[in-house]
Amino acid sequence: MVIPPAVVSPGLDLESSFTQLLEGFGLSPGAAHLLWLPLPMLTVLVAAVVGVLVNVWLERKISAAVQQRIGPEYAGALGILQPLADGLKLLFKEDIIPARADGLLFTLGPVLVLVPVILSWLVVPFGQQLLISNVGVGIFLWIALSSIQPIGLLMAGYASNNKYSLLGGLRAAAQSISYEIPLALAVLAVVMMSNSLSTVDIVNQQTGAGILSWNIWRQPVGFAIFWICALAECERLPFDLPEAEEELVAGYQTEYAGMKFALFYLGSYINLVLSALLVAVLYLGGWGFPLPVEWIVGLTGQPIDAPLVQVITATTGIVMTVLKAYLLVFFAILLRWTVPRVRIDQLLNLGWKFLLPIALVNLLVTAGLKLAFPVAFGG
Amino acid sequence: MFGFLKKVGDYTRDAVGAANYLSQGLAVTFDHLRRRPITVQYPYEKLIPSERYRGRIHYEFDKCIACEVCVRVCPINLPVVDWVMNKATKKKELRNYSIDFGVCIFCGNCVEYCPTNCLSMTEEYELAAFDRHSLNYDNIALGRLPTSVTSDPAVQPLRELAYLPKGEMDPHGVDPSRPRAGQLPAQVLETLPKAPAAAAAAKTTAAGEETNP
Repeated sequence: MVIPPAVVSPGLDLESSFTQLLEGFGLSPGAAHLLWLPLPMLTVLVAAVVGVLVNVWLERKISAAVQQRIGPEYAGALGILQPLADGLKLLFKEDIIPARADGLLFTLGPVLVLVPVILSWLVVPFGQQLLISNVGVGIFLWIALSSIQPIGLLMAGYASNNKYSLLGGLRAAAQSISYEIPLALAVLAVVMMSNSLSTVDIVNQQTGAGILSWNIWRQPVGFAIFWICALAECERLPFDLPEAEEELVAGYQTEYAGMKFALFYLGSYINLVLSALLVAVLYLGGWGFPLPVEWIVGLTGQPIDAPLVQVITATTGIVMTVLKAYLLVFFAILLRWTVPRVRIDQLLNLGWKFLLPIALVNLLVTAGLKLAFPVAFGG
Repeated sequence: MFGFLKKVGDYTRDAVGAANYLSQGLAVTFDHLRRRPITVQYPYEKLIPSERYRGRIHYEFDKCIACEVCVRVCPINLPVVDWVMNKATKKKELRNYSIDFGVCIFCGNCVEYCPTNCLSMTEEYELAAFDRHSLNYDNIALGRLPTSVTSDPAVQPLRELAYLPKGEMDPHGVDPSRPRAGQLPAQVLETLPKAPAAAAAAKTTAAGEETNP
């Protein structure tokens, strides 16, 4: 939680408490700060991995319920330990590199697909100061990092020494690139309204009137476009052509086994949770409760800086963000079992010929509304 | 100008229609979440096989005449009929009969063509063994009566769809004493009109009186 000194807000400041504690033990301020730095990163990393495990469990249970089955029920109560069992299984499997495959590219492919996704968790806010780093170019950083993914997909497809994997990799890269532009344009409309690329500022612009001030009311088309593009970037149905079992075996992932496959698997679910969180941040008011928290606290008469009030509001913020994200994850899982898969030409048509023009029109209309009604659309 | 606007209008209407279809589909999928799972939790729950289920073959040694029709109609000539000619009585003497269930395809041809009805198919399907040679059933093993799913105290038997009461689709939670859908022959007879039956009875008795001197 890096806070510039000029903008320290009153209330609980975990960083200064921690560094003061360590300085009390005799460490220099620099060393104390250095010891503090990994803590938020580790917390977010643990939260991301736990989020993925929960996501895998939810996917299997909800998919089973939709198909009138039961899903995992023997690995731990209600099958909660099933994702852990899956991960352990992949850890112990033999790590194969096919004969005459390019060993370096084969190994680097999943790394390039996974690392940018984990890096994007830098800018996901769970509260006013509950994020790793409030970089000024927050949301743009995520878009830029997600553009590294096609390189990894191409490496994975090409290095497999398998013509079907190559085709799968090409299709996956084409899909990823095609849906980046409408995604960026939808985000641009939101950024235009909030006058800042920082995710914290985007959420702050959606506070004030509780649920009525969320961006989804001002950007309904943008929300739809962003959600469709996010699903396409995550390669979830109906856009899972590159990794579907019936298509090209498993596309670019065919030759992967063991830990490298685990990286793809992990990356796919982390990407989904990240996209859901970013939809919550951009369109559903981030950490905002449907009723403004300041208003509720004002009713009780407590000051907003009291430590207990701070803890409760922070917890509410975290819970609301996670709730919104998992609502979207549930919607994505439901969508998976509802719609058929789109063909590659239909997929590219949708990205370039449908979503791109609509995103441009959305941007234009938002700009016009911003000029006409600056009070409502971000003066 | 208006052509363009009309195109935009059509485009929007198509998009809204597509979104409509999508939401209907999602409503169907969402509706499934409230339904009970139809999973049959084998081995704690087992389905009761139907009446004509082609399971393990049952053989009555005493009825067999060693005609070997079952061998001839079998697609792989599987049954091994071990008989010798008894010169004294001039009859075939059956020594052993065996069917190898590791090879049998359970088609039921032998059952259909047996002239003495000594072959029949039971509802047993759990024949798994650790050694494939133990699947070669001799006439003692073939003659054993089948074990039924309903007689196992550790298993809850579930009826298949055809045997469920009217309106029930899922066997879980259905009381076993409730009768299956449809009428028994006696019940069907009750629904038939009585008058033609009485006239036909009068006619047959008249014909009977004529033929009897």
